[in-house]
Amino acid sequence: MVISEMVEASEFPELAMQFNVSGVPQTTINAGASTLVGAAPEEHLVAEIAQALK
Amino acid sequence: MTDKLLNDEIIAQVRDVFDGLQDEVEVMFFGRQNDCDYCDDTRQLLSEVIGVSDKLSLNEYDLEEDAALAQQFGVDKAPGFVMVGRQDGQRVDYGVRFSGIPAGHEFSTLIHSLILVSGRDSRLNDQTRAFLAGLTEPVHLQVFVTPT
Repeated sequence: MVISEMVEASEFPELAMQFNVSGVPQTTINAGASTLVGAAPEEHLVAEIAQALK
Repeated sequence: MTDKLLNDEIIAQVRDVFDGLQDEVEVMFFGRQNDCDYCDDTRQLLSEVIGVSDKLSLNEYDLEEDAALAQQFGVDKAPGFVMVGRQDGQRVDYGVRFSGIPAGHEFSTLIHSLILVSGRDSRLNDQTRAFLAGLTEPVHLQVFVTPT
């Protein structure tokens, strides 16, 4: 149910631009339904996933 | 002869950490013949890492020639690779994907991910596991990184 993909931003600049990546790491959830910038604690990521699914 | 990407010191460190490997892991690499600046380096990096342990195996595919397999595993970029558990001759997908070369900081992500998949344990806390177990819709996390 969960796919987690590392994306090397400099190799895929169109995608990075599409999701407005300005700093790394940036986690984009379900093609931009929600976004998490920076390294975040597990609870924070869970909250963002929940937000993305609303 | 091609130069190695990883020197003896790094390989020795990787070998130490791979003492923690438990069950078998297969890496399914997808390259592309044209327009892929990092395919060769990524293939070579994976080959050097995976050669360290016989619990790890590498299979190489082509995004276009093996389009059905790529689609089955949701791989749409080259270089791209998937880490799956090997259990009784079957692939067990834990949803781990890499798009682009895992160099620099991401080298440790590569090593760590192999260990997690090998251990068949996400090491997430109980609350997170309960949340994930209750998911009814797919979740696609794309973690953008740069090698430096």
